[in-house]
Amino acid sequence: MFIDLQGISRFYGKHQALRDVSLRLEKGRVGLLGPNGAGKSTLLKILMGLLPPSSGTGTVLGHDLGGDGTLLRRSIGYLPEADGLVPGMRGADYVALAGELYGMPRKQALRRAHEVLTYLDLGEARYRRLEEYSTGMKQRLKLAQALVHDPPALFLDEPTGGLDPAGRRGMLELLLTLGREHGKAILLSTHLLGDIDKVCDAVIILHEGRVLCQGDVGTLCRRRQDRYRLQIQGEPNGFLEELRIEGVEILDDNGRGGFRVRVPAGWVTRAFFILADHHGVLVRGLEPDDEDLEELFHRVIEEHQG
Amino acid sequence: MTVQLLHYRAWQGAFRRPSWGVWPIARVALGSLLRRRLFWLLYAASLFLFLMFFFGGYLLDWAVTQVSQAPIKVGNVTLDTERLVRSMRQTLQVLSGNQDTFAYFFNFQGTMVMIVLALTGAVLVGNDFTFRSLPFYLSKPINRWHYILGKCLAVAVVVNLLTTLPALGLYMQHGMDEWEYFTNVAYFEESGMGRGPASWVLLLGVLGFGTILTVFLSVTLVAAASWMRRTMPLVMVWCAVFLFLHMVAVILVDGLRYNVHWRLLGLWNNLCLLGYACLGFDHETIWPAPQPSFLAAGITLGGVMLLCLTYLNQRTRAVEIVR
Repeated sequence: MFIDLQGISRFYGKHQALRDVSLRLEKGRVGLLGPNGAGKSTLLKILMGLLPPSSGTGTVLGHDLGGDGTLLRRSIGYLPEADGLVPGMRGADYVALAGELYGMPRKQALRRAHEVLTYLDLGEARYRRLEEYSTGMKQRLKLAQALVHDPPALFLDEPTGGLDPAGRRGMLELLLTLGREHGKAILLSTHLLGDIDKVCDAVIILHEGRVLCQGDVGTLCRRRQDRYRLQIQGEPNGFLEELRIEGVEILDDNGRGGFRVRVPAGWVTRAFFILADHHGVLVRGLEPDDEDLEELFHRVIEEHQG
Repeated sequence: MTVQLLHYRAWQGAFRRPSWGVWPIARVALGSLLRRRLFWLLYAASLFLFLMFFFGGYLLDWAVTQVSQAPIKVGNVTLDTERLVRSMRQTLQVLSGNQDTFAYFFNFQGTMVMIVLALTGAVLVGNDFTFRSLPFYLSKPINRWHYILGKCLAVAVVVNLLTTLPALGLYMQHGMDEWEYFTNVAYFEESGMGRGPASWVLLLGVLGFGTILTVFLSVTLVAAASWMRRTMPLVMVWCAVFLFLHMVAVILVDGLRYNVHWRLLGLWNNLCLLGYACLGFDHETIWPAPQPSFLAAGITLGGVMLLCLTYLNQRTRAVEIVR
């Protein structure tokens, strides 16, 4: 079991940051979603054994949250959102220092630091001072210091923050590889729904200190039989007008021939092609428009507020 | 970004206890300090003082030898060499390696320690707060007291490099000159070279003085630097605590004749009082008189340290780690 919480609450004075949070997640890649002030940071602190819960019990990777936080943190590699770099240090020394703080002997920490930096494509930069690292390199360096002791779990706080699209894609691929091929349990806290969509197979949605939903992304997202994504080529106006007459609702138009539509009951998909043919339009893509993570997130929040 | 995880290898060594993390924290802090030229400049300056004490004794011996062997004439007047030697010995008795020597040495060297600590506190501690390195440390399997201890250890090394280590050098020097200095506690009493104990009692006194300085200055600097973070504000706070309060205490007690306990405001004075107690000074002989009791000084310093530790405990809460 990765995370198992029962009735965790946390107060800061009179303010309640977490309300009766119960979670049960198997080892895997888990996304932690929630608007600002939802309690993500408090939950992360509790899961890392840095903050005791006001009430409730739980375990992370079998370590009791009420026990010695140091043992728990040894099982976790934490990538903080803030840089948290030690100025003046060289990359390899920084990662080795992290290894030593995790409890590795100095020589082994240094050797392992070189290995991990090479794996993360920072081999060339390992002797450079941290001030000289670019944002993308800093993110990978932070991942290196989280990986140095080969933990079974990684807690990642905004790992793609400040990265360009290529860097972001690379980081997400890396996380996916670590999760899939190297069996790392991952807890990814981010505001970017796309990151969770790409990496995680389970999600926790927090709002106002409560867990609104948790579980497998595929299961939580609704399958919608009445919605389609349509990609067409050609003049769309006549085709769209005809669709409207037939009772199809155009939900979204991306201006480049991409549409999201809702069809009436009893609609057969072949009708898209027939109508397109009538108006000289070519249908290049047609797929069911199931609920995505962003829609799930908004739906869950709206349902809660409603 | 090229992903090169094809050869990712697991690590299967044994982890050590969290307390092993204290030294790497201190080592990194010291490393960042030792890279600065300013530190070496200040250290070199502080060594001048040590060299004055170190060679002062030889200068005295040489002068005494010269004067006693060859009478000095100034014009037609011949000086009384015996009186001159006696006067020189009395004047320079502070260099004979007795309790006065170390009292003066620690006192003078303390000024340099204060300057060094004020200027380097930001590098040793403050930068962790300025550059948000604290989450890096505290998210590891160590607790906040390991972190605080690591930082205090770094400051302690600096303090001892400037005070206890050279003081031990002086002790060794005097012992090598006269072996009895090492072995006979009553060496000064018997030889008339000074006052106070010698031998292991004096050695313990030197170590005690050094320990008091180390412990107090480490805790106060780590607290002050984690509060002020940057060099200039830290220098101002340091001056206020150790210089301004000391001046206020002197004005109140020596100038306005207030109760002697007002002297406790001067933290450096309190440190010296406890140090003198370690060196075996009689309370009544300590200058400037009158002085508060050793116990009062100890309680004051203990109180200040408790305040600093309480602040540090708050400052390094887990709440700071994940925003």
